[in-house]
Amino acid sequence: MTQNDRSQTPRRQGRAMLAFALIAVGAAAPALAQRPRPAAPAARPAAPVPAAQAPAPAQPAAAAPEASGPLPLAIPVPPAGRLVAITNATIMTATHGTIPRGTILVRDGKIADVGPNVVVPPDAQVIDAQGRWVTPGIIDEHSHTAIEAVNEGTNSITAETRVQDVLREDAGAIYRQLAGGVTTIQVYHGSANTIGGQSQLIKLRFGLPDDSLLFAGAPLGQKFALGENVRQTNFQPQPGQARRYPLSRMGVEEVLRDAFTRAQAYQREWQAYDSARRALRRGQAEPVPPRRDLQLDALVEILQGRRLVHCHAYRSDEMLMMLRVAHDFGFHVASFEHGLEGYKIADELAAAGTGVSTFADFWAYKLEAWDAIPENAALMAQRGVVVSINSDDEERARRLYQEAAKTIHYGGASEEEALRMITLNPARQLGVADRVGSIDVGKDADLAIFSGHPFAPGSRVEMTLIDGRVFFDRNTAPTLENTIEQMRRQLPRRGGRPVTAGGAQ
Amino acid sequence: MTDARTSRRQGARGRAAAATALAWTVALIGAGPIAAQQAPAPAAPAAYAIRNATIVPVTGPRIAGGTIVLRGGRIEALGAQVAVPADAQVVDGTGLFVYPGLVDAGTTLGLEEIGSVPGGNDTQELGDFNPHDDALTAVNPSSEIIPTVRISGVTTALTAARGGMISGQAAFIDLAGWTPQEMAVVPRAGMVVTFPRVTARRGGRRGGTDQPDQVDQQTRALRNYFADAKAYADIKARLAAGQAGTQQINLAMEAMVPVVRGESPVIVDAETADQIRGTLALADSFHLKVILRGAPQAWRMADTLAARHIPVIVGPITAAPRDEDPYDAIYANPGVLAHAGVQIAFQTATASDARNIAYNAALATAYGLDPEEALRALTINPARIFGVADRYGSLEAGKVADVIVTNGDPLDARTDIRYVFIRGQLVPRTDRNTRLYDQFRARPHQ
Repeated sequence: MTQNDRSQTPRRQGRAMLAFALIAVGAAAPALAQRPRPAAPAARPAAPVPAAQAPAPAQPAAAAPEASGPLPLAIPVPPAGRLVAITNATIMTATHGTIPRGTILVRDGKIADVGPNVVVPPDAQVIDAQGRWVTPGIIDEHSHTAIEAVNEGTNSITAETRVQDVLREDAGAIYRQLAGGVTTIQVYHGSANTIGGQSQLIKLRFGLPDDSLLFAGAPLGQKFALGENVRQTNFQPQPGQARRYPLSRMGVEEVLRDAFTRAQAYQREWQAYDSARRALRRGQAEPVPPRRDLQLDALVEILQGRRLVHCHAYRSDEMLMMLRVAHDFGFHVASFEHGLEGYKIADELAAAGTGVSTFADFWAYKLEAWDAIPENAALMAQRGVVVSINSDDEERARRLYQEAAKTIHYGGASEEEALRMITLNPARQLGVADRVGSIDVGKDADLAIFSGHPFAPGSRVEMTLIDGRVFFDRNTAPTLENTIEQMRRQLPRRGGRPVTAGGAQ
Repeated sequence: MTDARTSRRQGARGRAAAATALAWTVALIGAGPIAAQQAPAPAAPAAYAIRNATIVPVTGPRIAGGTIVLRGGRIEALGAQVAVPADAQVVDGTGLFVYPGLVDAGTTLGLEEIGSVPGGNDTQELGDFNPHDDALTAVNPSSEIIPTVRISGVTTALTAARGGMISGQAAFIDLAGWTPQEMAVVPRAGMVVTFPRVTARRGGRRGGTDQPDQVDQQTRALRNYFADAKAYADIKARLAAGQAGTQQINLAMEAMVPVVRGESPVIVDAETADQIRGTLALADSFHLKVILRGAPQAWRMADTLAARHIPVIVGPITAAPRDEDPYDAIYANPGVLAHAGVQIAFQTATASDARNIAYNAALATAYGLDPEEALRALTINPARIFGVADRYGSLEAGKVADVIVTNGDPLDARTDIRYVFIRGQLVPRTDRNTRLYDQFRARPHQ
């Protein structure tokens, strides 16, 4: 999307209806991570993980009793189930096909067993998913949800800025995405400048303190951007605001090469310092350390392979430029974001081992999105590129399953390939495929339960679990249907006429 | 015709339906008025007969193993026992489904090409009141977007400018033709009005910057404009009835005359329940024929809208609800309206996304809209709303042959649209996307 579009994205406030279910955000300040020193791989502080609670009594959610009164418009914070069994489900595993009638057993938030003949322990909380389809929790590889600000675009390099520092409980948006089966999202800095901020992977643990969102142990990530947004093509500067360098794609390359040249020099300074310290003998004076540069710290981590590069790009030529720069400086590009012209250079991308996270068919919104084709994802996948379908948008995020289905129609992806584009493949691009992205033993029990085939037109998400805990359940959700029912019950009759269908005329 | 899109998808998917593609010959390439961008092709056959297909007329029961004959731009016959005429080009419909062409009842098709490139966009005029602007004037028949939409099964669309309070006349068009006038089904389908609304300031939080004074001011201005138009129309009527006097011609007011006489509908964009209430009040004051559009909060007054026979063009469904509404409000709104008896149609409100109109409807079916009603909302309902149900919106003998042939439910994103006919002409299955796809799919491995 355009940088302007991004900055205009409405930052949704928690709606009053849900607010009381949220734990006060201000009370829980996230533990700030110490910035690792560039030379030595410092241990990354572990993100806080919500403490497990006592298991709840079994409550088969798929067969909720008929509500006798108005349904509560509240989202109870779900209990942590130590042992949960989802039974009688059609299970799309994303790695080893579809199990027509199977069980997923979850122990301590991890998938303990999956298959057609899983024995359900008597003390397990059972979710009878008769007639339902279960997929891995959907992973949105490109999001700007749950942050207070998106762009720090005043300089061409703002590698020191961190999404983690501006995370917030974005209640409405997070809840709506959970209701679309999304469990993990990669939150990016915007695309206003060539080297943007540090990204943050989060799980949509709605209703818990905002520091509970962090995906513990996820690799570090950095947002880069090329093309029209970076060179400020599609907007006018505000009065008094100067244009900043660069204004061309050549300038973008220069920014990159200059930045990594400086990062290399900075890295050498620290290496020299570390060598001197190691060689230090008793009685000798301590060497003076180099001045810390928070911007270059992040770039050094990229050079060291400890921070993944996710680069917003549209045109094939600019992607090739980025690959050349990466090659010359010895780092790897994990993924191109959007990459709408990736199909033109699929072989080069596959050879570089660089994935592409793209849109299903969003196009024509700017010149660099004019050569987009809806077959992009399928064609790249056929040529060996790891492809994911992302949202970049709070609305699109909640129907990624429908977006993935389009890759079947356009370009002939198989159903499992299409599913992988919103589950396993984004996990691979983000370096967490050992943790999430498929229904395999040992992985986090992040699951979406659909009313039918996830790609069928009438299907919707009924329940979403993260780490084996229910974070969305349509049976208790404030739906339009029970909102109207509530209004019918509560509103007074006017002029002797019954108030109907909302009635608030 | 290069049936590349069909055959490559079939190939990729290993489907056995390749025979269908082979039933077509190169000589069949859509000729005549279909694609302004295409080079003239040999003359089209006199008629087409799609046989042994499941025919879904929408206004009648499904016909299994049926045949439908298209001739002279019209549907000549359809049924289980219809004979294939000797001069008809035969399409084997085995395993396929025939539907009326889909309708996107709110787009900027032909008026908008690349979003960020102003030179190609005629979606917005300066000023608050432009009733004498006709969208049809600026419809670009050579738009590269249009072919991508019609090969997705959308044959007809309402297209209109936006902006200001009265944006001008919308045009109901078929998505094929050499000139805008040739594309037109209803050149002036309705006066587009945006009811004044509280808007968020740029960069602000939605709903966080109420400007009620400005809204009141705008609403007064809108009402005054209609009052002026009413007065203008009254004077015009008196003069026509022989009363003495003169009237200075005012083109904007002239354009409003059929509106305030209730002859031409107003298509009112209204996002909030407040805007809808304001619209109903305006309609009462000036006896307007109202079509609501957008209207994500129309569920709040579904029964009223049904009782007043006000149709609602809902959408885009691919939108997030306002924070005060339930998470599924946008998805469930069409079902609530239809259940209450409101006639609904769908819109994408875009050009480039118009190809997704059926998937907008699909989301609504997942949240309560009956799938059959969804199909009507994509076909016969918009035809009724714009007064052309005698010619459009269903498969019936004598109707315009806007017909699509699919391998499944058009609401299902996995379904392929195999053939599209507009006014009885086969639409080439190529567009800007397929040309690039074919070009780069053939790129030798590096």
